[in-house]
Amino acid sequence: MSLEKVIFGFFVLLAATLNFGFFIGDLSDPSLHNVYELFAAVVVSLIATVLKFGDRTQIGAVHLATSLVADLQLIAAALVWGYATQISSAGLDGAAMASVVSLSGGALLANLVSVVLLVVETVSFHRR
Amino acid sequence: MAGSALRAWRQSARSAETSSTIFLILRRMRAPLIVLITIFAVSVLGLTLIPGRDEAGHAVRMGFFDAFYFMSYTATTIGYGEIPHPFTGGQRLWVMATIYLTVIGWAYAIGSLLTLLQDRGFRQALALQRFTRTVARLREPFLLVVGYGQTGQLLGRSLDAIGRRFVVLDASGERVDVLDIDSYHADVPGLAADAGNPQALGVAGLEHPRCEGVLALTDDDEVNLVVAMTAALLRPELPVIARTVSPAIEQRMRAFGSPAVVNPFDRFGDHLRVALRSPASYQLMSWLESGPGAQLPPRGRPPTAGRWVICGYGRFGKKLAEDLRAEGLDLTVMDLRPDATPEPGIVVGDACEPAVMARAELEDAVGFVAGTDNDTTNLSLIAAARRINPALFIASRQNRPASAPLFAAMETDRLLVPTETVAREIYAQLSTPLLWRFLQDMPARGDDWAAGIIERLTRHCGDRLGSVWKIALTRRDAPALEPYVRTGDATVGGLLRSPQDRDQAVAAVPLLLQRDAGTILGPGDDVTLEPGDELLLAGRPSARRALLDTMTHHAVSEYVLTGRTVPSGWLWQRVTGKVPRTR
Repeated sequence: MSLEKVIFGFFVLLAATLNFGFFIGDLSDPSLHNVYELFAAVVVSLIATVLKFGDRTQIGAVHLATSLVADLQLIAAALVWGYATQISSAGLDGAAMASVVSLSGGALLANLVSVVLLVVETVSFHRR
Repeated sequence: MAGSALRAWRQSARSAETSSTIFLILRRMRAPLIVLITIFAVSVLGLTLIPGRDEAGHAVRMGFFDAFYFMSYTATTIGYGEIPHPFTGGQRLWVMATIYLTVIGWAYAIGSLLTLLQDRGFRQALALQRFTRTVARLREPFLLVVGYGQTGQLLGRSLDAIGRRFVVLDASGERVDVLDIDSYHADVPGLAADAGNPQALGVAGLEHPRCEGVLALTDDDEVNLVVAMTAALLRPELPVIARTVSPAIEQRMRAFGSPAVVNPFDRFGDHLRVALRSPASYQLMSWLESGPGAQLPPRGRPPTAGRWVICGYGRFGKKLAEDLRAEGLDLTVMDLRPDATPEPGIVVGDACEPAVMARAELEDAVGFVAGTDNDTTNLSLIAAARRINPALFIASRQNRPASAPLFAAMETDRLLVPTETVAREIYAQLSTPLLWRFLQDMPARGDDWAAGIIERLTRHCGDRLGSVWKIALTRRDAPALEPYVRTGDATVGGLLRSPQDRDQAVAAVPLLLQRDAGTILGPGDDVTLEPGDELLLAGRPSARRALLDTMTHHAVSEYVLTGRTVPSGWLWQRVTGKVPRTR
């Protein structure tokens, strides 16, 4: 067991689970989506991305790509949330919340791909 | 099978070196970046959790937006103050902690980045990448010079002067740095890497389609062998010129393809033999090898009768003794190595001791060779020998370039500087292959013939060598001569008439005529030119320009070859009815 692999797997999985936790629930209902969870998802996703830096294998490259997609989606979600709460006159209404959550839904898809890649990598490693 | 393995190796080698730099940065920046993200996350989270108070005294919590905004300007030490409301004691306590935390985080990240930029491995990776790119972008034919020591630098300067491009590979970074200081006309890419590594050779352009030759010039025979071997295996069609001082290595090099091997010790012996047999040939040879602008060297005459003494019986001494014996000279050899085994005809011992020196019986010798690998020893040997017999013909070997003034002050009759010999020799081979051919074949023609050529050369261009150049009588290079050459109406003498006045000859001497049927050394004026002939000429640069006119201008060639004056313009040609022969 390598500690590096544990940390790597932990962050990849945590990014996916946090993302899922934020995403689940009625799209347009702000009370079902905790902003702390979005914050945690962004931070963990960023850390997972940095952990994937510098891997020269093909699977490592795809890992990094999915992570970058998730980051992009989550940061976009955070920006929309910031716009809705601070700048928009309407405030955080149903429409704004729906776009925040759907953006994080996209990130969730990317995170799921990351998890699938992690599983594939692990399984193929055992076969060797 | 083998081909595909080779291709796979080449591909992996190439992709590895291009992306390694960026991966190196990313990998090393992992930890600092994660620390930075974590510190930011913890700070922002803490700010949103700690209750604050607005102006009215209501308890409010900071939102993520404000918290991130606050942390961003605080962490970057900009500091706009406390927003949106003045902080409470609890908030200030937390902010105090986060300020120190973020400063540490930034310092760590920026420090790591700067360390990475200073890192030797990283800089090498960057240099390698830049070098690879430069070499890959070369669009002109270039030579791969392996080893940039004395020989490489001498040769590099001459090659640059005649407009040849080259790429340098050397094990020592300092020598490669010299490239930046040397003022070359062209940009010379250089890489500090182990030349014995095929991958380094590949990066330096061994497999580049524009690579036209490999020069193995390192001090290490083994490395030169590896370079010659690698070039022969990966690019069998490339010409290779390798330097070595060991006959055994020379044999091993010849096992791979047909590299041109230059052995300075061997050459010195050969030159000395030429000088013994025919001083004028040697004079002409060293003059032409010295390149444009060289002063006519004096015609020294080494003593051909009498006994020679050779000091030093290493590789150089053995080779020279062999050559001198082949010339039928009487020899006494002094072996200075303390562990040498005494043989008949060999004096063993420290030659600096008068008793040992006396055994060589220098009083009745005619020639003395100081051939050890130590310049100080050589100089003191010469001084000692001169004291015993001032009339001696002295030949010496100079090992270090720094000793040059000392040997010059000693005024030896013949001096071997291995690095210069190799550089001159290779330059002659590369700059004008016909000249090389000429130098190879010339000694066989004898002393009088060479003296005749020297006499003609000095008459035409004085005692400074003008240029040595080649003309090709092809339709492309000499369109105006083509009609005459095709029908056999042009001779060497006819071609070399002056376009100003055809009763005068241009100031050039034909050295060699090469055609498919063979070569003619020093072709006479009556030799008929044939299509495809190549002519090697030595003479003034003005003669070169005059010949260029004759070769390319129909009216000029008509005048030079037949004496008929025709107008050069189309209109006047039609008006006067005098049209030069174009077919």
